[in-house]
Amino acid sequence: MMLQGGSTQLLCLTASSGVPLFTRGASKQLPFSVIGSLNGVHMFGGGQGVSLSSCETEGGGKVVWRVFQDSVMLIAVTGGGQGGAGSSKEEEVRLQRLLENVWNCMVLVLGQDELANVRNVERLKRDLRSCISLIDQLLEERQEGILGNLTHCADSLLPPNPSLLQQAVDGFAQSADSEFGCLMVHGRIAAATEKWWRLAPQEVVLLSALMRSLSASGSASCDYPVFLPQGSPTVAHRLLRFQLLPGADVCVLCGPTPSLHRAESGLVVRFWTPLVETLRDCLAVGERCLPGSVSLRPAVLALLLINREARRSVSCVRCPTHHPPGDPPLPSKARCWELMKLFYIFSTTRYFTQEESVCLTPEERAQGGNTEDFILGFSHQPLQCYLVTEECKSFGLQTPQHQLFLLTPLSVPTFALRTVATQTLSDVVTATGF
Amino acid sequence: MAFLANPRQFSEKTLCGGHTEEDGAEHDSDCESASSYYSSDYSDDLEPEWLDEIQKNGELFYLELSEGEEEAALAQAAANQGVSTNHVRFSEKEAEIITEQNKKQRCGSRAKGEPTLKRLARILRRKRRPSQRRGGGKDGGKDNLSSPPASILKNQPGQRQGVTVQPQQLKEVCVYLNPKRLAGPSSPLSDSGGLLEALLGVVHRSSQNRVQGDPAVVRQEERLTVHGLMPNSPAVKCGQILIGDVLVAVDDVDVTSENIERVLSCIPGPTQVRLTLETVALVDDSTANDTLSVRKMKTSPPVSQLVRLLWGEDTAELQMSIGHIPHIVMYLSLKLDSASPQEEEEILYQYPVSEASSKLKGVRGIFLTLCDMLENVTGGRIISSSLLLGKHLVHVGYWKESNNLLVIGLPAERVPLLYLQTVVGDVVRTLKVMYGSLDSAFCKVDHGPRLDHFFCLFFQQLIQPSRLRDGSSAPPPDVSGTLFLDGLPAVRWLTLPPEIKMEVDTVLSDFESSDFGEMSEDFFGLRRLYVILGSCLFYKSYLIANHLPKEDLLDVCLYCQHYCLLPLASEQRVGQLVIWREVFPQQRANGGGSTAPGYSQPQGRHFLLIVGLRHFMQCVLLEAGGCASPALGSPGPDCVYIDQVKATLLQLEVLEAGIEERLNAPPAPCLSCADWFLPAATARDRLDSLASSSPVLSKLAGAVKGSSTGSRGRSLFGEKSRRSSPQRSLSDSGSEGQMDAGSGSGSSMAPGLSPHSTPDSARKLGVRRDSMGSGGSDGSGGSGGLFKIPRMKHPNPFYLGTLKKTLTERETEEMYNTMKLTSGAENTLFHYVMMETVQGIFIAPTHREVAQLSGSIHPQLIRNFHHCCLSIRAAFQQSLPARGRRAADRPQGGGWGLGPVKEHGVLFQCKPENWTDQRKPAPTMTYWVIGRMLLEPVPQEFYVCFHDSVAEVPVEMAFRLSFGLDL
Repeated sequence: MMLQGGSTQLLCLTASSGVPLFTRGASKQLPFSVIGSLNGVHMFGGGQGVSLSSCETEGGGKVVWRVFQDSVMLIAVTGGGQGGAGSSKEEEVRLQRLLENVWNCMVLVLGQDELANVRNVERLKRDLRSCISLIDQLLEERQEGILGNLTHCADSLLPPNPSLLQQAVDGFAQSADSEFGCLMVHGRIAAATEKWWRLAPQEVVLLSALMRSLSASGSASCDYPVFLPQGSPTVAHRLLRFQLLPGADVCVLCGPTPSLHRAESGLVVRFWTPLVETLRDCLAVGERCLPGSVSLRPAVLALLLINREARRSVSCVRCPTHHPPGDPPLPSKARCWELMKLFYIFSTTRYFTQEESVCLTPEERAQGGNTEDFILGFSHQPLQCYLVTEECKSFGLQTPQHQLFLLTPLSVPTFALRTVATQTLSDVVTATGF
Repeated sequence: MAFLANPRQFSEKTLCGGHTEEDGAEHDSDCESASSYYSSDYSDDLEPEWLDEIQKNGELFYLELSEGEEEAALAQAAANQGVSTNHVRFSEKEAEIITEQNKKQRCGSRAKGEPTLKRLARILRRKRRPSQRRGGGKDGGKDNLSSPPASILKNQPGQRQGVTVQPQQLKEVCVYLNPKRLAGPSSPLSDSGGLLEALLGVVHRSSQNRVQGDPAVVRQEERLTVHGLMPNSPAVKCGQILIGDVLVAVDDVDVTSENIERVLSCIPGPTQVRLTLETVALVDDSTANDTLSVRKMKTSPPVSQLVRLLWGEDTAELQMSIGHIPHIVMYLSLKLDSASPQEEEEILYQYPVSEASSKLKGVRGIFLTLCDMLENVTGGRIISSSLLLGKHLVHVGYWKESNNLLVIGLPAERVPLLYLQTVVGDVVRTLKVMYGSLDSAFCKVDHGPRLDHFFCLFFQQLIQPSRLRDGSSAPPPDVSGTLFLDGLPAVRWLTLPPEIKMEVDTVLSDFESSDFGEMSEDFFGLRRLYVILGSCLFYKSYLIANHLPKEDLLDVCLYCQHYCLLPLASEQRVGQLVIWREVFPQQRANGGGSTAPGYSQPQGRHFLLIVGLRHFMQCVLLEAGGCASPALGSPGPDCVYIDQVKATLLQLEVLEAGIEERLNAPPAPCLSCADWFLPAATARDRLDSLASSSPVLSKLAGAVKGSSTGSRGRSLFGEKSRRSSPQRSLSDSGSEGQMDAGSGSGSSMAPGLSPHSTPDSARKLGVRRDSMGSGGSDGSGGSGGLFKIPRMKHPNPFYLGTLKKTLTERETEEMYNTMKLTSGAENTLFHYVMMETVQGIFIAPTHREVAQLSGSIHPQLIRNFHHCCLSIRAAFQQSLPARGRRAADRPQGGGWGLGPVKEHGVLFQCKPENWTDQRKPAPTMTYWVIGRMLLEPVPQEFYVCFHDSVAEVPVEMAFRLSFGLDL
């Protein structure tokens, strides 16, 4: 077995000639012959009018292929074995999402022109190095609690006093000659201009990811050219990012003006100095993402709330303060996040619809995996679902506006799950207007 | 071999069977006194009907239907269970013709010498029998006007008197003809009859032959009068061509004796032709007239495609119709001999050959490469891959065995990826049961046509199940339902009252003891040919008794499922079904799981014998070798054993009434129809729809109607409120428009109201649930007047409430005994499936119970339920390998999915279709589909669907259900 259980390797090749562009993930790289065969089978199928999209092996191993713009081939391989049974379907969706994100990320950094018309492979290889760190971030999912890559809904943080921050962001963006401005706290969007939310959900998620990776670099400010994969894949914009406090960043998407220096010295100070205390309050919210005014029921172990129209999500995992000694042990925090992701995929592949599939063309949808075919088989509409496993209970519900996913300890009776979920939803929505 | 040396014995037995087939009214006594027939005067030497159909390798698949028309007639005379098969009915006429004119020719055409005598003997016996047995006999039944027989032999001498002949009635009959079947052994091309006889099965004797020496008759064009019909021919199967009819035209081409052969010879391949016949109508009296008109109105249902497929006809046409849908099965060799690269050498077997499938065949390199490579990369064998073929998404399932690879490609819209593995696993197991291993199934050249047939059935069932059932009036098939129920490692079980159950078991045990009296080998001091390992009994597709170990039962059931034998027995009356083949039960082949010390599985060969008579079907697993004598070569079916099974089945027919009664009984646990919970349906509608279905229910319904009309005078208000759209609970009534959240699931989402809408509190606040159940009118009867009556909006026939007074005591008692699965006052259960993993059986509401709950939404709901069950079961399945290992052993923090799933539920919302009212939002109804996996006390899987007004604990429901179920 060449891949360890659970580890993922990402292969990128030119679609026409099969020249490897880069390989990421997994400690040990797959032998070249395997990479060649993986690409070869897909190419062979393409010649026969058959397009291979995914493959599954015993123990949950997966291979997913996808060609973008007829020029770049991305392949993701996950090793199975080692008790990885069962999550194959979930795994496939995760890999499909990964490929999509990686492609968008390449476009974001290099622009579509360079990727679609490969003239010089060596040069492209060199250029691609600049997006490696971002791709690694997508691949490794280093930061806990960021689900946007999967849900394509921007991870948000609901600040205690949103209106102040909103005003500041609006004013700041306006004075920087931009309509697109955004404040990120702990890697999540705390406030953004209206136009920012009008960007395609994938772009918002990707820009968030870029911001996280830029702020992780530790620089106080930067000026970074970006292409928007949907909005302007061929014309670059400038992304200006300023660190306000450790953990709090603000950014604008703008044209040639203003210069980074002018914005940093003039605008940032003007707009954000008065708000330092507010920002500190905001940072204090931390990973809970919800303001203190919202009190969650003690039964809620983890929560993911999605606003389907705004394409935003709030998520948190809580460590219960008191845990009765007799009860079965609660899953760890990391496990909770993983369970939440899996439950989200489980519910959305089988029962609930995912939003952006609506705006995809049929070809894209078919390429993006076979997630839809099962949902279409239902003659009535699924509204809620729950799972009882050995570790916890999960409950998901969907309304025209929201999707809510909850994890609760096993001690909560199953019939009470629904009450807990509906109350949590109404609590959060009434308190924050999310 | 003893029984062959003494053929008398089994022929007598056959005769007993044949006798009873014809003579249902007396069959009870006949069979009980069967032993007396052994030494009676029937000593003719008879061959069973299926003898010709035995293949070279000893396998037999013989299926004979009883006429659908006859079925209708039999339903009228329910008491008279007599059934005669095609053979018996037509042979009388045929026999006359053959004996009188054509005997020598026919005899000559037969290769065997001895059967001549046998045939003659049979003919003579049949001629003799009616008069011999009882005054009426079969003919007596015909004269009996109260139960007119359905027979195509209408101008029998007995009926001639009083018949005025009304000539010149034309009728059109569509017949399916297959010139390719001419070569078959069953229809020898007789030289005098020509194609008319051989292809169509119509016997016509030209008058030149008959009226010899008559100078007045000039040899020229002559009308084609039907003088007889060949058994098993298309003419007989369509059931509408009567002896005495005149064939006027074929596909609008006028035919006479002159050109008929030419016209028929122009039929190139299997096709349907329209025959125009001039018929004579019987008008002897009014009853006969009625019968005729009835017959005209409901012409016998055509033989369904399924049966044709089983008969081995017209697979080409069926396969053509799905040619554009990509699907394929290939058996590929992974070991390529590179020294001699030949084209397509690695394909050991492939089916079908169509344009879409050839594309899949073209990319077999992908399958081979992936199978070869991925095992090294990800550390597991390949299971499936998905690919896009034009616009079709195709899932491909793999099964690797030694150096070969089985690849099955299926369209994604038919088989969800979630369930592909189960489907492939079942096919592989079926093939292994039939052939021992995949290699022996695919690598023998002579298996080709049989495998083609096998996979034709497989694909037809998956891709166009509706085509197969077109002959019957079955509702549109529920694809997910079939997938789900067939995929369960269990057989559908019918619980029977203990008396019947005991009797069935006793009869089966008697049979299994192989104490066949003087027919047995013991009697002659010989070693037994076969040991009966066990048998199981089906009635109308339900398993009613099983004496087989679980794995063997599943093997047998997979075979039956694959050949659609179970639906066949429930939808169409099987005249006679005899299947004999060698099988390789998986448990036994793998050395068996039983490792009791000092015991080892005997190394024997196993044979499966399936015999079906009417709605009964018995599957017997026989072992040769071990303590029976070893089997040599490929032994064919053994008449003694077949006849013993038939005798058993005939013996069991006494119980048919009891079983039917069980099937007709109101469902226990009670079921509700989904439509009742939508306010659109009025109470009256439901009752009417119910009342028509079952006697017990109609009694009840009558009671309800009575009581409701009684209340009419009492209160205007009550009547009015019943008319107004009945509101169940807020969440159901479409009143969610009032709630600001505008949420899909009604009140439960609305912030302010949420505490009230939880199932838990709904139970407490019974007042809100204004169903009649909470009316609490038990004690007060109708005396409540104004306040009570408005509550009685949804009379639930299963709930007593106000009706109690109007029922007799006995009925009341009966009603209390019926089991209710759900808690709360009202019955909210829609559907359930409960599987016992240990026994390999599952129970679900019977088809009839489901049919009783007619309505427009309910069938939808059941389809949805099954579709959801696919997902739930897949979730259970996923977690199975992980189960059993301790939580601590698991790698922490990744790679092992959601973990073992114990319970999974989904809440659905349904709206009536085509809701036209713009002002009001459509009323909605929400219901749960919940699956629960139980490990204690016995492993079970339980799937249930109920209305969401009451919170249920599925474990409790499962317990209640299995408690009432005495297995």
